[in-house]
Amino acid sequence: MQQRVCIVGVGLSDGPVTPELNGVMLEAQAFRRALDDAGLEKDDVSGLASAGYGGMHEVALAEYLGLTPRWLESSSVGGSSFEFHAMHAYRAIQNGDVDTVAIVYGNNQLSASGRTLGTGGGGGGGRGGMALPLPMAYEFPTGLTLVGAYAMAAQRHMYEYGTKPEQLASIAVQTREHAGRNPRAMYRDPITVDDVMSSKLVADPLHKLDCCVISDGGCCVIVTTEERARDLPHRPVYVRGAAGGTTHHSIAAMTDMTRTAAAVSGPRAFAEAGITPTDVDVFAMYDSFTYTVLVVLEDLGFAAKGEGGAFVTDNGGNLRLGGALPTNTDGGGLSGTHPGMRGLFLLCEATRQLRGDAGDSQVAGAEIAVAHGSGGWLSTQGTVVLGTEGA
Amino acid sequence: MPDRAMPDWSDVPKWLLPRPTLEDREFWEGAGRGELRIQHCSSCGRYQHYARLLCSHCGKQTLAWVTASGEGTVYSFTVIRQNGVPPFDERVPFVVATVDLDEDGARLIAAMPALDPGEARIGMRVRAAFRRAGDEFGFVDFVAAG
Ligand SMILES: [Zn+2]
Repeated sequence: MQQRVCIVGVGLSDGPVTPELNGVMLEAQAFRRALDDAGLEKDDVSGLASAGYGGMHEVALAEYLGLTPRWLESSSVGGSSFEFHAMHAYRAIQNGDVDTVAIVYGNNQLSASGRTLGTGGGGGGGRGGMALPLPMAYEFPTGLTLVGAYAMAAQRHMYEYGTKPEQLASIAVQTREHAGRNPRAMYRDPITVDDVMSSKLVADPLHKLDCCVISDGGCCVIVTTEERARDLPHRPVYVRGAAGGTTHHSIAAMTDMTRTAAAVSGPRAFAEAGITPTDVDVFAMYDSFTYTVLVVLEDLGFAAKGEGGAFVTDNGGNLRLGGALPTNTDGGGLSGTHPGMRGLFLLCEATRQLRGDAGDSQVAGAEIAVAHGSGGWLSTQGTVVLGTEGA
Repeated sequence: MPDRAMPDWSDVPKWLLPRPTLEDREFWEGAGRGELRIQHCSSCGRYQHYARLLCSHCGKQTLAWVTASGEGTVYSFTVIRQNGVPPFDERVPFVVATVDLDEDGARLIAAMPALDPGEARIGMRVRAAFRRAGDEFGFVDFVAAG
């Protein structure tokens, strides 16, 4: 019989600016805090997942932490890697291959590299004489930037569906409201749609305030069996469904720039969990850019295709606390924390909400949460449905 | 549609020069002599860019190089207004477009250095324009057609 699987511990490192801590120190700090949160010690951990550095990072991290895990996972699919890690850990625990997995990520991207607004290189390309992997070799000499890749997708959505830049801007405004409630968020002062629209255009139609921040930070999420979870201090949060997928690597190969692999991963994960979009109480969404949120809201079925713009602004703002779908209640990547990749932080915030531990940003009575990661250039999508025991 | 005064993109820094691989030398050399070289699949009849061993549409290994018409339609575009990497930092603002070639199934990302950013439109007809990249190779830009 398959085991039910629970998140039992979450930990955040110091942040969002930590010049005194490097990436692996941030990972270790988050790991220690997640152990404390879960009421576990390191030798209780038999599986480790991480991504974001070079090959064998999770092995190096295991050594650094003094772990000898028998289950390792390093799916490296961009910012959604950690939704894939959670999905794979969920399956492995269900099947009894491993019982307690720590998923860990940390990066001091801000302190190490500074903020380039995704304009430091081509759509994922590099410079300085290294051979570029196809197809980036074609994109980089055009002057395309990472922001530009997302901008082209947003532009196509505006063309096909009449989506307005002001609707994209509203996503940033509502997310900033949540950041104002989170002392750990990078930017907390309220902003207006006009503020977003009058911030510098980086790549049409995306303005500076349509783009996520760059911060430092680390996070750890610990997943285990329901049986073990029963003995641990927190109310367990159940993994109810998970799915992922990819449609392309480079933006040129995104055949339909208004539809992502979330249109496949979402329905699969929701079906496994036995839920529909209207059952979701809180949404943790990888907001690399405002458009990322808009297109995935549609792909997951929270809004019909083409109606994402209206959805985010209806009802005084449906992403707000009190709206139809409170989204990125910790201030997201747009205003809160974004240390290179954000996927793991989504699982952390969703868990805090379902435990009732989300402080001033708590969604009252939240029972079902969705964490959804988007990686690359809308390339990879991973959906994880979480629920309380009774949900 | 008026093109703006052609900004000078002719100076290609050494690190930006193509480094052809076994698969794509034909593309870069073709661009160097003013031809847009793509692959045609005799199994499914569709085209692809960039070069691969297998057809990305049908999976068959039945590809041959052909010279594209160079005509296409803008699927989407952006105006790059910030790019921290020289020489692009001095070229902003400029248009980068995703172009669907008239050859079904082939799409590429290209700069449109000569196009006034205010004139860029999805659906506009465009044609390839070639720019030297060293002695042997070229880049494929696009300009407004007609
Ligand atoms: Zn074919």
